[in-house]
Amino acid sequence: MTLNTPILWVFLPLVISLITGIFHRRRIFGVIATCTTGFGLGTLAAFFPEDMVISIGPLTLTFVESLAILGRQIIISYQILPFIAFIYFATGLWAVGSARPSVPGSFRPTSLVVTALLTAALGVEPFLYAALFIQAAILFSIPMLSPLQSKTHPGILRFLSLQTLAMPFILLAGWLLSGVETLPPDSPLIVQTMIILGLGFGLWLAVFPFHSWVPMVSEKAHPLPVSFVLFIFPTAIALFSLNFLDRYTFLRTSQGLYQSLRAIGVLMIVLGGLWVAYQENIKRAFGFSALAETGFLLLAIGLSDQMGLSWLLMLFPTHAINFWLWGFTLSLIETRTDTLSMRGLQGFARRYPIISSGLLIAQLSVAGLPLFAAFPIKIALLSAGFNVSAGLGTWIFIGSLGLFFFTVRLLNDLVTPDNELTTSGWSLTEKSSVYLPILLAILAVIIMGLFPHVILTNITDTLTTFNQLQ
Amino acid sequence: MDALSTLAFSLIVITAMVILIFRDWRINTAALTLQYLAVFYLVTLSWPIGLAIVKLIVGWMATAAIGLTCLRQMDVDTPIEPTSSLFFRGLAGLMVILVIFVISSTLQETVFPNVDLVIIRSGLMLVGMALMQLGTNALPFLTIMSLLSFLAGFEVIHAALERSTLLIGLMASVNLGLALVGVYFIMKNNERNVVQKEEENK
Repeated sequence: MTLNTPILWVFLPLVISLITGIFHRRRIFGVIATCTTGFGLGTLAAFFPEDMVISIGPLTLTFVESLAILGRQIIISYQILPFIAFIYFATGLWAVGSARPSVPGSFRPTSLVVTALLTAALGVEPFLYAALFIQAAILFSIPMLSPLQSKTHPGILRFLSLQTLAMPFILLAGWLLSGVETLPPDSPLIVQTMIILGLGFGLWLAVFPFHSWVPMVSEKAHPLPVSFVLFIFPTAIALFSLNFLDRYTFLRTSQGLYQSLRAIGVLMIVLGGLWVAYQENIKRAFGFSALAETGFLLLAIGLSDQMGLSWLLMLFPTHAINFWLWGFTLSLIETRTDTLSMRGLQGFARRYPIISSGLLIAQLSVAGLPLFAAFPIKIALLSAGFNVSAGLGTWIFIGSLGLFFFTVRLLNDLVTPDNELTTSGWSLTEKSSVYLPILLAILAVIIMGLFPHVILTNITDTLTTFNQLQ
Repeated sequence: MDALSTLAFSLIVITAMVILIFRDWRINTAALTLQYLAVFYLVTLSWPIGLAIVKLIVGWMATAAIGLTCLRQMDVDTPIEPTSSLFFRGLAGLMVILVIFVISSTLQETVFPNVDLVIIRSGLMLVGMALMQLGTNALPFLTIMSLLSFLAGFEVIHAALERSTLLIGLMASVNLGLALVGVYFIMKNNERNVVQKEEENK
């Protein structure tokens, strides 16, 4: 029996999301179906045999890596499976978090659709058509960020507008790229093409000055879907962007491009760090911190001559666990307090110590504190930055301090007793269904930090997809 | 530039200006319907009618979805705006037209040498007006209309550059998806308004 890999990792999750979408009010069913699909497809991708043949008793399944649609192809090759495994595991992880009743019912089916569409985007040939799949994923993410019961806030409209504007730029850049390969390096058309391509990716990745929707959406929408969106789109788009470097020699060899990427990356790190440092609202702080993390993704690509691409891929799992923990704890805090301002959270840690610890550890891990998940990669990027120039390294360091500063401020407010409450002592009030996932995530954050080469290096095999970038 | 191309271009300028200036969903829906007709003609300059008609059908379907949802809305009355707002937006639209006329020839010479000037001007006109609209309002209905106009403008130019069945299909899906998101936003606001009014009546 012959099957196509795109049917398994694109069409099957779409069908399952349709079923969970129809029964979106049945929360437990939705959680089980989405978790099973996410973890199941992730496991299958992680342990898929290289010869693409699976034998179950008398049944032999032979897989073909491509599927033709309307004269074009979707190819899910063996080389990209580590990444596919990773994003499906991450989707399963977020589905676990969505078991909380406060999470919008639309999140589970749409998260699966988004993952399936992004998988298709990474496999479609010609690869430029990925822009349309990414746009479709963006459209599907609207119901999870702005559920039917909530008010339509300006941030979501800005998100939709800016993300939609990106698609034409990418398609246009794709058309221009096909013509500029044969031109001399000093042709003005090359610079124009790079600008159009840069605008497209800038809009997609919410690079300054197209970032305004990030804190707005982060403040108004439910934290768990926000953390999913802020994780999965930059991750998939960063990997998609490597296609351009892999296929076009003039881009790959352009020192100006790498310098620009480093400069924009550092700008994002510094601005994100400064913005987050003085934030009063903890949900907005998450948005600004995500902007700084996008800066690290760009910086890693810009440092590709110093193993930056390996660091880029190793950043993805740390982002997944950190963002999940951050989003999950924020969603728990939101249901337990009236306000999400720093002042309003005074004494919160005394009543909910594990939720508060989860939030603080997520922030410290994103900031790159030693022993936590992001530290090995952040320190490597910082060293690479200092290798390029002392100025670059210094700015990365300054930008990274922003989140540390914010976390210290938050810690101070969380442990300060609230004068309005009669009891100011410490008490453990969380139930096991609340603290167990948080403790497991904290454990994962620490294990990733202690054994990065065991946990994080598998995903770097994805680089074998890009023949010129290995 | 033949007579029909000129007519299509004029129709695009007029409808884009109407969508930019007015906030009434009835006027805007009618303008968007006519705009897709002009877009269809301009796409036929690059593609066979059989393919170009997809743009017309998808565009009209998207417009119908938004228009019919607005029709079912509880609050159909559009607030009356001061003349100064209309005048300001009209002036902004005229500036966009001026800028497009200035840059389109240069753009044709440097980037799109094989594309007809009327196609470039029409596409840019839609893109420019849509961007102006996106910058001057925060209403879900108008945002979606602007995005549809923006994509229509891009499609007019891109049709002259590339032809692929999958691309046509995917662009059609994106346009319809955008219209559905618009319907979702309109319905969402309407439901909230209904709940609010019911609470006020109690």
